[in-house]
Amino acid sequence: MQLPTPGVLLIALLLVSLVLIAIVVFRPAITNSREGKILAFLAFLILPVLCMTWGASEHIDRSKQTQFCLSCHVMEPYGKSLYVDDPGYVPAAHYQNHRIPVEEACYTCHTDYALYGSLRAKMEGLQHIYVQYLGTIPKTITLFKPYNNRECLHCHLGARSFESNPLHQAIMDSIKSNQMSCITSGCHDTVHNVASQDHVKFWSPVQ
Amino acid sequence: MNTESTSIQPRLRVPGILLILGLAIELISLLWNKPLAFILFAFVGGAFLLSGILLYLYSLVSVRG
Repeated sequence: MQLPTPGVLLIALLLVSLVLIAIVVFRPAITNSREGKILAFLAFLILPVLCMTWGASEHIDRSKQTQFCLSCHVMEPYGKSLYVDDPGYVPAAHYQNHRIPVEEACYTCHTDYALYGSLRAKMEGLQHIYVQYLGTIPKTITLFKPYNNRECLHCHLGARSFESNPLHQAIMDSIKSNQMSCITSGCHDTVHNVASQDHVKFWSPVQ
Repeated sequence: MNTESTSIQPRLRVPGILLILGLAIELISLLWNKPLAFILFAFVGGAFLLSGILLYLYSLVSVRG
């Protein structure tokens, strides 16, 4: 038997909370008894706080999904770039070979692997929503700040193929200190390249 | 007749309705997988829920026993 997902459980909790609050609102006389007072306390305070906390956690989890990021029209070409049939395209090679979790592809590479990385990513996400609905979307989308090697090293550091590469060994200190960028120093510089998407072949996964 | 219960009962209606609206908005936001759903959850639903909770707590402390 398959267990219900947290999202389904949360929806069930929300419905139960709604019913309990409605009982107290439409039958306030039940609060005459001690049990009724406890029920009102549960329905008016404990359950709403639980629903809010759990709901926030659920929304944050959902916002990590690739599908969520690509739900904005402006992100469609970036989603398409994950299917470019060319191993030289860094995001495409990572996505197609499952080097990153496919369901959380955008988030895996575009979050800071630092103390407040996830929080900062969420704040920047709010800024994206503002620009999407109330601002002007720029013709060329750029990162808030230059891509940090730390995000690549989060997975690659310590990996045999990365460490044993003589070129990486020669410049390891510069890579680690972010003095030499992995993606803009001419080594792995083919990233999403959405501007040249009309001239590339795309890979179609077998369904 | 219990004085405490008669005085708190009408005060439960407004926080209750605010909480019902807040939870209904939270429910809708969970069924909608778009970035705006988070805004709806955090700012609209959250405002209703917080005001409902605060009004309920106020009704508890303002009732004369």
